[in-house]
Amino acid sequence: MSNEHTVKSYEEELQFLVDSVIKMGSLTESQMVDSMDAIIKVDKDSIDKIIKSDDEINKFRSKIDTQIMTLLVKRAPMAIDLRETISSLKISQDLERIGDLSKSNAKKVKPLPLDLPEELLSNLKRLGELVIKQLNDVLDSYVNKNYDKAKEVWKKDEQVDDLTYIAMESVIDFLSKDKKNLDFSTHLIFATKNLERAGDHITNIAESICYLIKGEYLKGSRPKGKVIQE
Amino acid sequence: MTKEQRLKKRHSAERRFRFYGIASICVALLFVLILVNNIFSKGSSAFMKTVIDVEVFYDPELIEIENGASEENIREADFYDITIETLLKSYPAKNLDEENELIDLFTTDAEIEIKKAFLENNNLIGKKINLEITSSDDIDQLHKGNYPRDLPEDRRRISNFQLKIYDTLVENNKINKNFNNYYFNNGDSRDPELAGIGGALVGSFYSIIICLLLAFPVAVLASIYLEEFAPKNKITDFIEININNLAAVPSIVYGLLALQILLATIQLPRSTPLVAGITLALMTLPRIIIPCRASLKAVPPSIREGALAVGASKFQSVFHHVVPLSLPGTLSGTIIGLAQALGETAPLILIGMVAFVVDIPSTPIDPSSSLPVQVYLWSESAERGFVEKTSATIMMLLSFLIVMNFIAVYLRQKFEKRWN
Amino acid sequence: MNEVKIKSNNLNVFYGDKQALFDVNLDLNEKEVTALIGPSGCGKSTFIRCINRMNDVIDICKVTGNIEIDGVEINDENLDVVSLRERVGMVFQKPNPFPKSIYDNISYGPKIHGKGETKSELDEIVERSLKKAALWEEVKDRLDEPGTGLSGGQQQRLCIARAISVNPEVILMDEPCSALDPIATAKIEELIDELKKTYTIVIVTHSMAQAVRVSQKTGFFHLGKLIEVGKTEKIFKNPDNKMTQDYITGRFG
Ligand SMILES: Nc1ncnc2c1ncn2[C@@H]1O[C@H](COP(=O)(O)OP(=O)(O)O)[C@@H](O)[C@H]1O
Ligand SMILES: [Mg+2]
Repeated sequence: MSNEHTVKSYEEELQFLVDSVIKMGSLTESQMVDSMDAIIKVDKDSIDKIIKSDDEINKFRSKIDTQIMTLLVKRAPMAIDLRETISSLKISQDLERIGDLSKSNAKKVKPLPLDLPEELLSNLKRLGELVIKQLNDVLDSYVNKNYDKAKEVWKKDEQVDDLTYIAMESVIDFLSKDKKNLDFSTHLIFATKNLERAGDHITNIAESICYLIKGEYLKGSRPKGKVIQE
Repeated sequence: MTKEQRLKKRHSAERRFRFYGIASICVALLFVLILVNNIFSKGSSAFMKTVIDVEVFYDPELIEIENGASEENIREADFYDITIETLLKSYPAKNLDEENELIDLFTTDAEIEIKKAFLENNNLIGKKINLEITSSDDIDQLHKGNYPRDLPEDRRRISNFQLKIYDTLVENNKINKNFNNYYFNNGDSRDPELAGIGGALVGSFYSIIICLLLAFPVAVLASIYLEEFAPKNKITDFIEININNLAAVPSIVYGLLALQILLATIQLPRSTPLVAGITLALMTLPRIIIPCRASLKAVPPSIREGALAVGASKFQSVFHHVVPLSLPGTLSGTIIGLAQALGETAPLILIGMVAFVVDIPSTPIDPSSSLPVQVYLWSESAERGFVEKTSATIMMLLSFLIVMNFIAVYLRQKFEKRWN
Repeated sequence: MNEVKIKSNNLNVFYGDKQALFDVNLDLNEKEVTALIGPSGCGKSTFIRCINRMNDVIDICKVTGNIEIDGVEINDENLDVVSLRERVGMVFQKPNPFPKSIYDNISYGPKIHGKGETKSELDEIVERSLKKAALWEEVKDRLDEPGTGLSGGQQQRLCIARAISVNPEVILMDEPCSALDPIATAKIEELIDELKKTYTIVIVTHSMAQAVRVSQKTGFFHLGKLIEVGKTEKIFKNPDNKMTQDYITGRFG
């Protein structure tokens, strides 16, 4: 028994949809990498480029929406196909939100002074790297339909939460040293918070992938870091 | 070949086919037309007879009965003298030969006709009436123009003297054509002018009724059983094949069978409609079973399932739904089967229905003739009068068949349900 | 979940030498709609025809195993099939009203079962059945017109009314909408939804969407075997069996 649809074009349409989501994912990933780079290096020149790339992500999102609607109307997908369709809807939504967060982070770079102390940014950098890794992993698990890897990502969100907490602490420490820092510290706090939110969206994506593969939601509530628990 | 060429070829093939079709229909129609025309031109004159106007005087001296005599007395009385007297008066004859020739112009039943007129009117004794006496067959044929009068006298059945009388009578408007009641009312006769199909009609009628009464219920029950209830196995397959074979068995075989079993063994009376009916029933049975089963088969299985699904038993589903729905087909099949039986000759000849029967049968166990056999009998006879009677009888037979087939078609169209 | 109404146990059906069903074990719940799906020739019709012993009509058909309705074995020589069919009505793929009046179509069943002795009782049964089949409003003024003169959808509802008329407990439907247009189909589906309050319904369908819409439980047959059975929602969102998945997603080859 082949795994192909009897209707060839149906198969192609589904594959096309998945490809679109994957492309959107890699776009979002590189945007996040760029925006992290911009923050760490306080590179104000790349801001415009990052904002522009978000437009592209948004366009991808609406394209995927249309594809999904056409597919629903035309094929009335069932079972695995239905889950594939619905999860691409949800994943593309999360990706778009992640894109928005990266864009917002990029905007935070503008008011930052060029001479930020190294220790202030180090934790933020670690957090960024972790989130990027998470995003990369979750996209990987989507491409390879790897349940275990997705679940791994889902579990590792705990670390994101913890790192967020640490990064926040260091910013607040810095802030408490000198009230003059208030101006850009707030921006850094927001950027940290954005990364944590992006992590949440990545967890959502991981959940979607797990549902897509097994047809059931992950049991139990997601492990949460200290920041959320407060 | 290009597309246009192919198209042209296809079109001309279609045209050719249509031409062949129309041509063969035309040929068939032509033959039918020739046949019908032949029969009609020969047969239609048989429905008329030639009559000669004479004056009858019921002379009290010649008549042997009193005024007011009972009907029975009159029937037994002798009207011979009056008849001779009357006939001789119609033309002056000089000697005995001439007198005989004159009397030969009239039917041998002239006495009966004169007596009948007497019976129909009261108190004719001593009175004169004008009566139209049926002519002899020769005069009848002569008057209808079927008799060649320019042959030399020794080769004609009509003498010069008789011709002279005929011409005089024509001149005096004494010869007329009337509706031929004898043709319908009389039985067979040696005299063509008196011969009729009455006996054959009644014989055929009895035969067909007996055939219907025997064949219809048996055939219907057999087909319902075979089609609806019988298990499908080798035995029923065998029966099915044999029913189809029986329908194709030449009818004369049934005649032989009847001869052996009905006449020789059971000793039923020969030449009777009873035996004819049974023989025809045997022959018709498979011919009714086949259309009957076909019309049962034509009732869609969904109807049976529908009935069964609401909890009807097998028997109920068959008799409440299937049989009523198959009835139009069954009836029209039966009628067509009977029509075939009506036209059947060979088996009837074998069971002795060719006997010369004058009397009209009053019961199915009286000897009798039947329409197709009558045709056969008359076609063998030499007299010219029988030629037209043969054709006329064929016309009668054909019209019965047409009417029966028409009824069959009508029943089917009117009552047949259409399945969506 | 409702109580089990019909229970089949190791049901095997043979047409001559050819086996059409293999060890089917399937429970059907009371006052619920069970949909049977599967490719053509997989034995769906054969299965439901076992429930009202319609296969008896086919000479070469042999049924082994058990089917119980309310715990009573029905695959039994001595069982009276007429009274079984009174309890288990059936609606066929092609609407098959009798070529009689609408009234006669409905009153036939009650008449042969001795329900409705008087004309007024029969009238009442006819009205009630037609109302239940959501056809009353459309035909009440022409009850003496032939049932075959109705539209396809109306004919099918007439057949449903005919099945209801004898007050069955179970209604079997073999692809009841496959010959109907979408509107007529929608009406029948709505009707099934209403009927399931009173009757246990088994429906064979080739439309996945229809199975999802009308049924609570779905069984998937393939080559005479019951491959998977479960809650409709589960079957169509996340079936356990690969074959089921392949069938409902159209990956059968
Ligand atoms: N009356 C019959 N005689 C012989 N074989 C039959 C008969 N009815 C059905 N079958 C066979 O049984 C199998 C199942 O048929 P059926 O139950 O009608 O399938 P479905 O309804 O799922 O399309 C098919 O392979 C079919 O060929
Ligand atoms: Mg079927």
